Amino acid sequence: MSTSEPTLLALDNIGISFGGLRAVDQLNLEVKKGQVVGLIGPNGAGKTTVFNIITGVYKPTDGRVLWKGEAINGLPPYRVAQRGILRTFQTIRLFSGMSVLENVLAGKHLRTRQTWWAGLLSTPAQRREEKQLREECMEILKTLKLDHVANEVATSLAYGIQRRVEMARTLAASPELLILDEPAAGLNDNESAELNKTILDIRDSGVTVLLVEHDMNVVMNVTDHIVVISFGRKIAEGEPESIRNNPDVIEAYLGKDDDEDEQEAFA
Amino acid sequence: MKLSVNRNIGAVVWIAGLLVPLVASNSWISILSIFAIYAVVALSTDVVLGRAGMYDMGHAVYFGVGAYVTAILNVQYGVPILWTMPIAVVVAAIVGMVLAAPMVKLRGDYLLVATIGFNEIFRMILINDVGGVTGGPDGIFGIGVPSVFGYSISSQEGLFVLNWLLLGIALVLMNNLDKSRLGRVFRYLKEDELAATTLGVNARYYKILAFGLGAGLAGAAGTLFATQLATVSPSAFVFMESVTLFAIVIVGGQASIPGVLLGTVLMFVVPQVFRDLAEYRYLVFGLAMIVVMVLRPQGIWPRRNRPE
Repeated sequence: MSTSEPTLLALDNIGISFGGLRAVDQLNLEVKKGQVVGLIGPNGAGKTTVFNIITGVYKPTDGRVLWKGEAINGLPPYRVAQRGILRTFQTIRLFSGMSVLENVLAGKHLRTRQTWWAGLLSTPAQRREEKQLREECMEILKTLKLDHVANEVATSLAYGIQRRVEMARTLAASPELLILDEPAAGLNDNESAELNKTILDIRDSGVTVLLVEHDMNVVMNVTDHIVVISFGRKIAEGEPESIRNNPDVIEAYLGKDDDEDEQEAFA
Repeated sequence: MKLSVNRNIGAVVWIAGLLVPLVASNSWISILSIFAIYAVVALSTDVVLGRAGMYDMGHAVYFGVGAYVTAILNVQYGVPILWTMPIAVVVAAIVGMVLAAPMVKLRGDYLLVATIGFNEIFRMILINDVGGVTGGPDGIFGIGVPSVFGYSISSQEGLFVLNWLLLGIALVLMNNLDKSRLGRVFRYLKEDELAATTLGVNARYYKILAFGLGAGLAGAAGTLFATQLATVSPSAFVFMESVTLFAIVIVGGQASIPGVLLGTVLMFVVPQVFRDLAEYRYLVFGLAMIVVMVLRPQGIWPRRNRPE
């Protein structure tokens, strides 16, 4: 990816403390339009915390989150979503008891015009919109090969499928920036290979991606740029190739890979 | 098939009920009238509790606000009954939203305790005749009869049709809610508020709206309750009534129209029919709650997913 693309998201000296714990410290990060950026680091390094700060779930203690140059830190999550920043969760958070289609319709929330009273009165325009939304969601399900489970209860499906449903839900929101929190966690080899392709397809459709991932196969194959953090601080960044050979990274992260896998298995 | 029966059960019950006055005695007609009124209140409780997933144990307040608005406006100011209904709806909805605004960020059990507190405050306001309009512990008597195009509706049959109409409207609204973004958003918030907000849902707005809608619908039922009994008193809107409404939704089936209707039958119709056993209703219902929660946590007639 060319570096001349405009910066979409920038973390400017972000820090956050929980009580005495400095979870993230003086972190700078830039995501340019069209990139796939990987955020990696050992467990407990603060990766998910960074995502929670970007999406408004946590307010940073200091620093700024800039979206197209405008500070968005302190905004509630729904306002961050309104700006086109959508995320998935490390622990899948689908709406239990609801069908796959209903889950994906949630992603359409911001793209839905109907007022609440039009819904209660079931006006013709509202019914047309509902039909239209369902068709659009079915299209998304088709591209992610999920159309055959559209009417199944989402939380009753296999883990790998649930991950795809969650991704479909965020794609339904037509994000500008898609934030994926360990999308390969719990996937088998086939599924994670498939995920690589899906992420690249998403990028090719014009969506910028920021992801946390432990699966090095995924990270090395899909990212254009990697940021490594350890204990809340950035220890390296660069292209996948340079990160792979960076001694600091190997020490902090890859050297502990076995432990990681064990912890993952119990997660 | 099973699904379509479940989906249309409300319509079937409603049409069947409409025919009852042709064959039944007056006492049955008034039992069905009471059923209709309480079914609307239970459905309105379900909006907040079963659909949006907020533990509202003070729903009798909004029912009471509607009933007292009608009683006060009709008895003291001579406003025709049916004119008081929109006012009752609006006042109850405003009360619901104003009380909800500071509370909706409370979670589960905390919200429940706060709503109990409001119910107690409401009871004390009524009993102490605050503002000199509520009639104190005795309430307000002599509420008039509604009239439509100059015709007074004073018979049990006439009131029944009125009550049944409101139930029909409530059922249509609930059915529409199931097929709209609003209904889905309530469920998203109930199942996973964080996930919903990261998809752009303004949780606070929709939770307050849920209270407003639930309270408004309860207010409409309040108007008909005051009309049906021709009197209102604080005892009909106490904490225990809220508990009963809460139990109807939980035991019957959250977000399930047939479940809520069934719960209403069990709690309000069965005791009326077996009057000798009425004093045991809390015992029986309490036991039923325990059994249902253990064996069937989704309720006796749970909501089914509707494939589209």
